[in-house]
Amino acid sequence: MTRPSPRAVRRLIGLGLLVLWEAVPRLGLLPELFVPPLTKTLAVLWLDRSIYGAALLVTLYEVAAAMLIACGVGILVGAVVGGVATLRNLLLPVFSSLYAVPIVILYPIFTAWFGIGSESKIAFAGVYGFFPVMLSTAAGIRTIDEQYLLAARSMGATLPQLIARVIIPASIPTVLAGLRLGGALTIIGVVVSEMLTSASGIGYLVTMNRTILDSPRVFAAIIVVLALSVVFDIIVRAVERRTLVWQTAGRRTASPEAVMPARLATV
Amino acid sequence: MQHMAQLSLGQEQSQGAAVEVRGLGHIYAGRDGAVPALTDIDLNVPAGRFVVIVGPSGCGKTSLLMMLAGLRTQTSGTILVDGRSIATPDPSRVGVVFQEASLYPWLTAVENVEFPLVLKNAPRDERRARAEAMLNLVGLSGFGGRYPHELSGGMKQRVSIARGLVQDPPVLLMDEPFAALDEQTRMTMGHELLRIWSQTSKTVVFITHSLTEAVYLADEVIVMSARPGRILDRVPIDLPRPRTYQMMATDVFGALRERIWHQIRDVP
Repeated sequence: MTRPSPRAVRRLIGLGLLVLWEAVPRLGLLPELFVPPLTKTLAVLWLDRSIYGAALLVTLYEVAAAMLIACGVGILVGAVVGGVATLRNLLLPVFSSLYAVPIVILYPIFTAWFGIGSESKIAFAGVYGFFPVMLSTAAGIRTIDEQYLLAARSMGATLPQLIARVIIPASIPTVLAGLRLGGALTIIGVVVSEMLTSASGIGYLVTMNRTILDSPRVFAAIIVVLALSVVFDIIVRAVERRTLVWQTAGRRTASPEAVMPARLATV
Repeated sequence: MQHMAQLSLGQEQSQGAAVEVRGLGHIYAGRDGAVPALTDIDLNVPAGRFVVIVGPSGCGKTSLLMMLAGLRTQTSGTILVDGRSIATPDPSRVGVVFQEASLYPWLTAVENVEFPLVLKNAPRDERRARAEAMLNLVGLSGFGGRYPHELSGGMKQRVSIARGLVQDPPVLLMDEPFAALDEQTRMTMGHELLRIWSQTSKTVVFITHSLTEAVYLADEVIVMSARPGRILDRVPIDLPRPRTYQMMATDVFGALRERIWHQIRDVP
């Protein structure tokens, strides 16, 4: 008997959870108010597809704008802070500490500044996602192997060439890891801020339906957010695979014998 | 015979010198004030010569190499490479091969080799052809598409040598290029380097910790001392070329090795 692959096991567990989701409320093990059956949730989602679609568009717009801010500003500030020693020593400890602050407590201030529309969500989620992007960019630049830079200089690289051809490619893996985390935090930031104070978006649908105890519609919104996160993850993975061929390429081991010129064997 | 002729050239001879160092000194600002790192370094390497520098850690041999490469500036004295001073790196005059594989992991072998040509905006076809020719020279034809992590340690250093030679500089500087390799690969690489050297007639300045490697490779071994770094001895190695592994077992080889070892050991 062959052992099932982890992938197969994962799918089996996923399928089992879906079955449980349907069976537990149907069998009366949990009231439908707590967990509405999967089919009922999906039915509501289909019925209200125009509402959910419109809400998703709002959320997507906010996420996209916030990611642009988080990634753009994060990479820029991270590059400067990581590259300039004095700035690094001055700012990095501060940024690292700020990262630990639950920024969500600042959200009321954001609504005061930007109102309860999309702007406050974008600003809040942008700040939320900024920190991991900025910190990993700084780390990526700071941890570049000195030898890479020395070699490039010995080959006559100018500063712009050094940046474009060595520093940027060398820091891509760390920056991508930060983008992945920052992107996920941006989605969280948008949804959470929508749940707190707003009149549109998926997060708003969760809160609104929660207050009227319409559980299937709450869960339908949750499914949409889950789908959003999964799609984001798939996109990031695809980008990583494309960019990091040199890291993920099959670790074929080259045999030195294959290259050693035959005449050496006679020496 | 050619080597014997070169050996007879005196220290004063400067015509045809590929590398010429006069009264070089270097002082760096340490924690306890100024520390002399190098003093009174005079070095004259005629074109086509293979010179090996040995010395204890901290004798400044790597600093000296960095200065020859234009990567660091000396406090005093002059350095002429190919007859001109070298204030900034010039890969068309000096190629450098570093200890650790300083290849870029995001580039394939051939892309690594052509990197210096990319920096000079050479046409794509031209630089690719040149890089392929260099890979061929170091015995790696057919491996151009591999990424560094797909190559063995010895193969990576072959790529580094190919990269150092791609602009056809008259001088090749090597900073302990085989130190990270296992003994067997190291011997093979030494032999390969001599083959490449004899095919390209470059001037080589090579740093190592291995006295066997030094005697095996060199026309002349420069022995340095630490704190401050200065030249203790210049040992001509008049073993015939091509060198063979059998020579290592000879008395002459052993005596040369012993002479160098005594000087390094006697330094406190």
